[in-house]
Amino acid sequence: MKNRKNIGWYLLFTVPLLVIFTIVVVIPFVIGIYYAFFDWDGIGANPMVFTGLENFRVLLEDERFLRSAWLTVLFTVLSVISVNVVGLAFALLVTSKLKLANLARTMLFMPYLIGGLILGYIWQFVFLDVFTLLGEVTGFESIFFNWLNNETFALFALVFVFTWQMAGYVMIVYIAGIQGIPGELVEAAKIDGASSWQRFLNITAPLLMPAFTISLFLTLSYGFKIYDVNLSLTGGGPANATELFAMNIYNEIFGYGNYGYGQAKAIVFFIIIAAITMTQVYITKKREVEM
Amino acid sequence: MAFNKKLVTGMTLAASMSVLAACGGGSDEGSNGESGEAAEGITIFQTKVEISEQLEAAAAAYTEETGVDVEVIGTTGDDYAQQLQIRLNNGTGPSIFSVENAQVAQRLESYMYDLSNEDMVENIAPDMELALDDKVIGIPYGVEGFGIVYNKEMVDPADIADMDSFVSTLEGFNAEGINGFGLSSEAYFLIGHISNYPFSLQENPVEFMEQLTNGEVSLTDTPEFGEFGEAMEAIRANTPSPLSTTYDTQVGDFAAGKTAMIHQGNWASGMLDEFEVDFEVGMAPFPLAGNDQLAVGVGSNWAVNSDKDQAEIDGAIEFLDWLHTSETGQKFIVEDFGFIPAMTNIEAGDLDPLSQAVLEASNSGETIPWSHNYYPANVIPNDFTPAAESFFVNEDMTGDELIEALEAAWQNAAQ
Repeated sequence: MKNRKNIGWYLLFTVPLLVIFTIVVVIPFVIGIYYAFFDWDGIGANPMVFTGLENFRVLLEDERFLRSAWLTVLFTVLSVISVNVVGLAFALLVTSKLKLANLARTMLFMPYLIGGLILGYIWQFVFLDVFTLLGEVTGFESIFFNWLNNETFALFALVFVFTWQMAGYVMIVYIAGIQGIPGELVEAAKIDGASSWQRFLNITAPLLMPAFTISLFLTLSYGFKIYDVNLSLTGGGPANATELFAMNIYNEIFGYGNYGYGQAKAIVFFIIIAAITMTQVYITKKREVEM
Repeated sequence: MAFNKKLVTGMTLAASMSVLAACGGGSDEGSNGESGEAAEGITIFQTKVEISEQLEAAAAAYTEETGVDVEVIGTTGDDYAQQLQIRLNNGTGPSIFSVENAQVAQRLESYMYDLSNEDMVENIAPDMELALDDKVIGIPYGVEGFGIVYNKEMVDPADIADMDSFVSTLEGFNAEGINGFGLSSEAYFLIGHISNYPFSLQENPVEFMEQLTNGEVSLTDTPEFGEFGEAMEAIRANTPSPLSTTYDTQVGDFAAGKTAMIHQGNWASGMLDEFEVDFEVGMAPFPLAGNDQLAVGVGSNWAVNSDKDQAEIDGAIEFLDWLHTSETGQKFIVEDFGFIPAMTNIEAGDLDPLSQAVLEASNSGETIPWSHNYYPANVIPNDFTPAAESFFVNEDMTGDELIEALEAAWQNAAQ
């Protein structure tokens, strides 16, 4: 009797979500795979021509796509490093016995609450006006200039803004991890005479592995999938120097009107992200320490 | 502590559920509402942001006169083509939409209603209608023109009458620390419009572009393009980077007297009015290869969605008919939209100086055509803009290399 009642509760909570998930994720995903084998411009009334694996073959020779792939990898590697280093540093800072720790925690988390689109426009202004002004005032014009108008620095600008946005979020994950570390372990190490660096390396870091797993997963997948900041900050420019994966796919589908080919790209994109993030989770999971 | 955790999880779940539920409910209502209205009213979706409010006013006036409900769907302009495609595909397509040119019309051919037999078509000025295989499918918005918009207090038109003096004028402004000639970072204002000149100056632009697509002619071997490359070099050398400028700041700086000339069209006059400029503005031809004519063409066209049921199609045609033949409708076109009419039965109203210049040029026939209406679809945002961006970013890229990049871009898009 009790069991049946439980099943009822399960159904109540899972079925609506399952239905929604099926409608907005599973079905479009399957249709998307289907479209990837056609040459089609995305207009319902125009003909779809079956081309088999042609789209996937062309993809390997598409220089713009390969460049975009390389830029995305570069962007993701740089941002995973910077977001996690900065986020962990913030977490260590606000869990120390700082007087303003709570205030700092709130302030550091705030950027995450601003939508990526708006953030991009704000930083566009910062790079355009504030950076140029700083350059003129301080004389460091080789550092402070409009990064967005430089093919190399525009990507760094993206990493910079993405870090500014995500570091606070990752910080929260690390704070939770740090607070889960039993005080007696740290105290015992202190009594044994371990320096603070040794304590971080041998106690905090190993016990933080679960937090690393989550944070790396989040930043990796967010980094690969980034679109909003990309769109509003650089729009893929200058000269496609910051056209990342998601934007490349969007441009292929809606700019060039190659719906099928764009879908093929999207599927490859999905496989790459899935493979990389799952490998990462597998590796970091293995290193987690059970207490 | 444990209790708290559960509570938080529970609340998060509840919150996300309600968000999801709200989304579902919202979209349901939306589609119900729209299909309900479709039977008795019409919808309009169009690309020109400048006339959004005025068009809504026209729609309201029409509803008041006839009782037919007209809904104007808002647009941001930039993503119009994508939004239109999405709407047409998912069945919420508008009854009336705008089509920029024949290239776009070709793609959407199955949605284009044949307007050839409608009365208003007879009033379209010669060669101004949008046609596909002898069928008239678009009613022109109006005539538009672009060129060098200049501040009459700072620039003497004689100083920009040929390329050499134009360049030396730019150098003069540069020495004074004034922006001599402003472009802006948006695709059409960066390269789209200005790239017209070398094409439009060919003897037969359309034929030239066909030959280009077929590889029979090359941009690098055509003298007008060489000169265009040099002109772009001079612009890059003597003005601040257009990539740091938006349309708003471009026109704003001009209105504030910080920029002496901008490359714009008569559509900018609405914004100049808002700034209440205290100097006279004029429009001059861009003097490439001895050009002394403004580029004049049709910016966009009204088309009727053939995918709708006949009642809605008729409703849409009636609205367009009202807009172009009734006194109230014509008043909206001329006075509120500020269009220079491309219909013989509509008198141009009191025009702003820029539109006046375009109208005079148009009436005298001393104009060059808008070649960009014949470019491969979407080549300007997709391929020309990255090429132009790398030209403005890399100081060591020459004008000739820009032309090579444009040629490669053309071939990429024409495939």
